[in-house]
Amino acid sequence: MTLFGERVPRVEDARLVTGEGRFLDDLGQDALEAAFVRSPHAHARIVDIDVTDALDVEGLVAIYTHEDLEGRAAEPLPLLIPHPTLTHGRTPYALAKDEVNHVGEAVVMVVAGDRYAAEDVCDRIRVDYHLLPPVVGIEASRGGGRLVHDDVPGNVAAVMVQETGDADAAVDAAPRSLELDLAIERSASTPLEGKGVVARWDADDRSLLVHTSTQTSTSVRQAIAAKLELPVDRVEVVTPDVGGGFGVKIVHPWPEEVLVPWAARRLGRPVKWTEDRREHFVSSAHERGQLHHVRVGYDDGGRLLGLSVRFWHDNGAYTPYGLIVPIITSTQLLGPYKVGAYRVEFTSLYTNTVMVTPYRGAGRPQGCFVMERVMDAIAADLHLDRTVVRERNFIQADEMPYDQGLVFQDGRPLIYDSGDFPATMARLKDLVGWDDFPAFRDRARAEGRRVGIGLACYVEGTGVGPYEGGHIRVETDGTVVVSTGLTSQGQGHQTMLAQIVADELGVPFERIRVTTGDTRRFKYAVGTFASRTAVMSGSAVALTARLVREKALGIAAQALEADPGDLEIVDGHVRVKGAGGGTVSQVDLGAVAVLANPLRYAFDEAAGRATQFAAPADPDVAPVGPGEAPGLEATGYYSPTRSTFANGMHAVVVETDPDTAEVRILRYCVVHDCGTIINPMVVEGQIHGGVAQGVGGALYERIEYDSDGQLLNASFMDFLMPYATEVPTVEIDHLVTPSPLNPLGVKGAGEAGVIPGSAAIAAAIEDAEGITLTRMPISPSELFHLRKERLVEPVETTEGHT
Amino acid sequence: MKISGTSHLTPAPTVVFRALSDPAVLVRTIPGCRRLEALGEDTYAMTLAVGVGSIKGVYDGHVRLTDQQEPVAFRMHTDGAGAAGTISADVLVTLRDAEGGGTALAYDADASVGGTIGGVGQRMLVGVSKRMAAEFFRNVEAVLAGAPADLPDGAGASKPSGRASPGLPPYPSTAAPVPSVRSSVASPGAVYTPPPKGRGREGSTFARGVAAGAAAALAGALVGAWVSRLAQGREARRG
Repeated sequence: MTLFGERVPRVEDARLVTGEGRFLDDLGQDALEAAFVRSPHAHARIVDIDVTDALDVEGLVAIYTHEDLEGRAAEPLPLLIPHPTLTHGRTPYALAKDEVNHVGEAVVMVVAGDRYAAEDVCDRIRVDYHLLPPVVGIEASRGGGRLVHDDVPGNVAAVMVQETGDADAAVDAAPRSLELDLAIERSASTPLEGKGVVARWDADDRSLLVHTSTQTSTSVRQAIAAKLELPVDRVEVVTPDVGGGFGVKIVHPWPEEVLVPWAARRLGRPVKWTEDRREHFVSSAHERGQLHHVRVGYDDGGRLLGLSVRFWHDNGAYTPYGLIVPIITSTQLLGPYKVGAYRVEFTSLYTNTVMVTPYRGAGRPQGCFVMERVMDAIAADLHLDRTVVRERNFIQADEMPYDQGLVFQDGRPLIYDSGDFPATMARLKDLVGWDDFPAFRDRARAEGRRVGIGLACYVEGTGVGPYEGGHIRVETDGTVVVSTGLTSQGQGHQTMLAQIVADELGVPFERIRVTTGDTRRFKYAVGTFASRTAVMSGSAVALTARLVREKALGIAAQALEADPGDLEIVDGHVRVKGAGGGTVSQVDLGAVAVLANPLRYAFDEAAGRATQFAAPADPDVAPVGPGEAPGLEATGYYSPTRSTFANGMHAVVVETDPDTAEVRILRYCVVHDCGTIINPMVVEGQIHGGVAQGVGGALYERIEYDSDGQLLNASFMDFLMPYATEVPTVEIDHLVTPSPLNPLGVKGAGEAGVIPGSAAIAAAIEDAEGITLTRMPISPSELFHLRKERLVEPVETTEGHT
Repeated sequence: MKISGTSHLTPAPTVVFRALSDPAVLVRTIPGCRRLEALGEDTYAMTLAVGVGSIKGVYDGHVRLTDQQEPVAFRMHTDGAGAAGTISADVLVTLRDAEGGGTALAYDADASVGGTIGGVGQRMLVGVSKRMAAEFFRNVEAVLAGAPADLPDGAGASKPSGRASPGLPPYPSTAAPVPSVRSSVASPGAVYTPPPKGRGREGSTFARGVAAGAAAALAGALVGAWVSRLAQGREARRG
């Protein structure tokens, strides 16, 4: 029986739900602990740092400032993703040097016997600042009056333009046109487990073992080796269980990922740092904040003729992750549509706020919000059904693969590999009962209730390259050990990858052990982001399993004196096809693994079968032939020419309270196409989580800075995350259009659920209230005031004239 | 590593110079000083118990003086070596009449620290050094004012009344030095320890005393920094 496509229960869960997980803070119980003095100001010059009052704290071990750093550790952190248009990229120092550019920037590192002592020391260190004028928000930044970095004119990190055809001319020439100003506010990944690092320096071995809560252990390893000027083979990085990443943990090296290993080496003792919640809010990364100005031209049937988008992206104080977020927004904005001539120009702006890097969805929720607001505006203008306008602009299934004529975030052409958007829409209308909704609305109105429906469509580039790999070894007891270099944050990789190997190799699921994110086990990988694990590591372990299978058949063929072509592997046994389970005609993979490793010494009974006198062998044939290697194992890699594009459509039914303006989600329907599905339960779990964050992004989550750059809601008391009480039951239907780009036909599913949340919910609220929404998220009080504005508008104007 | 600071003392430079020159006073006023021995011309050996915050331990060091310009300046060289690292420091100490009376003393040190002693961070080393220097001059001031010198265990301001201080007889800051029975102090081998029962000052040349005093305050701090690692090691093993 094949496991591919089955709802196999996650092997991770028994361990995780019974408290057997090993997260970063569970490690390093013997380590010294670090805490940081962070800037309380958004923009300031450091005048003096006085530690005198801190010296008496019992347990104090060391106090470090930038002047203690040497060599490359004292240089700015790397600009991870350079881009030709990123003309003014800036990155921070591990510890602030001379100037701080956002509240929370690390200024002093304290190491003490425990975190309590370290925090006490931090409290007693006095840092004198000379305050500089802060630049907060896109409007303040694009004015250019105040500068974040003195050497960055106009606060402009980059201006990037992509176009296909003459969009502005097309808009001007179109029979009808619209202009919209749209906004998405700042939010943040806020994983329940923050960042954390434990480092052990082995002075005898001159080597580092670092555990860090990251989405890319292999790249952190390279970064630490570079910063500490160590040979890479003296550094190993292990990712333990991770309590959520959602993008923020793909950024690296964080200052702490450099400083904690650096201090461990300098002190010759293990050092540990576990981020607390406020630290995460003020010193990690945020996302989302963008302002868009859109011009669109279309015909009387609602068909797009030209789309011209100009947007401003708040990249915060630094740009270590380059322009990935705005590039994704500018390309994925197109969704499933043919927009005619397209021009997009974005300006990436510095502000004295926490830097901006990808958060689940990575720029797509903004692009989707803009495109879908445009679609709804056109429908309203033409009094057309919102699904009709969309259907008239869909790329058709027979037009696949479809080249949008742009360059995507992987530097490759934006070519949709497959998908059937009209079919997805048809399923969504059925699932939500789109055509029956007007009747439902009328009944609700009769009861004095306000209900509305909205929908949104997206296309998501997933499985970004350049590559991932896998290593598979069959042990002599038949256990199959699988490793891949990228990391897990709870997605169920161990289960999903084991399903693939079980099928490809023909071994029982229970015999498979999967390791991820441990550079001691696998050293070449990129990381877990862009919904890429199933596509990249899934394909890599599938290809690797085929290599192992080939080798197993070759060795078993000799043992069984059969032709490899006549053999099959079933339930962990190699046997002659159709010969059934007779012991003569089959050999288990463990035995094959023994034979795969010619031995001199019999360390156990099984090994005895591989020793020189165990069986007659051709004296003229080398035990390990040319091109062969001992052991039943193989390493394989998968590298795609470009990304594969998943898609989906969400429909939401909301009810708004006529008095309190509270928004309640009555139904949330998802039609989702991520190609071939490996484990529907895992995919649906990813969709549920994504929808939850989409609901949060639409109705609750926002990062609120005041004009001085102080973060006003840096706690879970004030930063609202949806609980189970706010997350609706998610109704899901799957459409499967396999990807032609990889051996499994799969596409990514990790981020999908979050992307259309704000667009669909805004549309539903608009439908219920009859008020046009142009910015998200929206709170009950904001909706309440929008209602007020609409009611009192005429009064205001008359007053204005008196 | 640059360490510099100033201190104001009530008496005039000549008096301060004289006080700083007295090994018996120094052994009472140098934070944590346990033992002071004249090894030869302008050279002292000393034993310090240092304890500031996490920086605790006992240290043996040497001090040598050059460029004496009585009573306004001298240059002092100190170095020490230990399992945890090496220290050397050149310190220029200057005294001048302060406006409104008294002495304006300034010290300007260039210290280099080798080995793991440097591991605790420059700010900590500087902070501890400055505090011990300040405490040293506070103690000297107290002695000159006739008060008993406070002899904390190098604990500095953290433990202002760290331990009972052996009383000193009032120091006649204006009177001429009274030669003591052990007037052979200048000769190598003379040993000074904080007297259980306070005794009067011993005669000596300015240079040695000043050298030892300033050196002790600084070197004590520096050395304290590296012995702190040993202390931390013990704490960790206890923990």
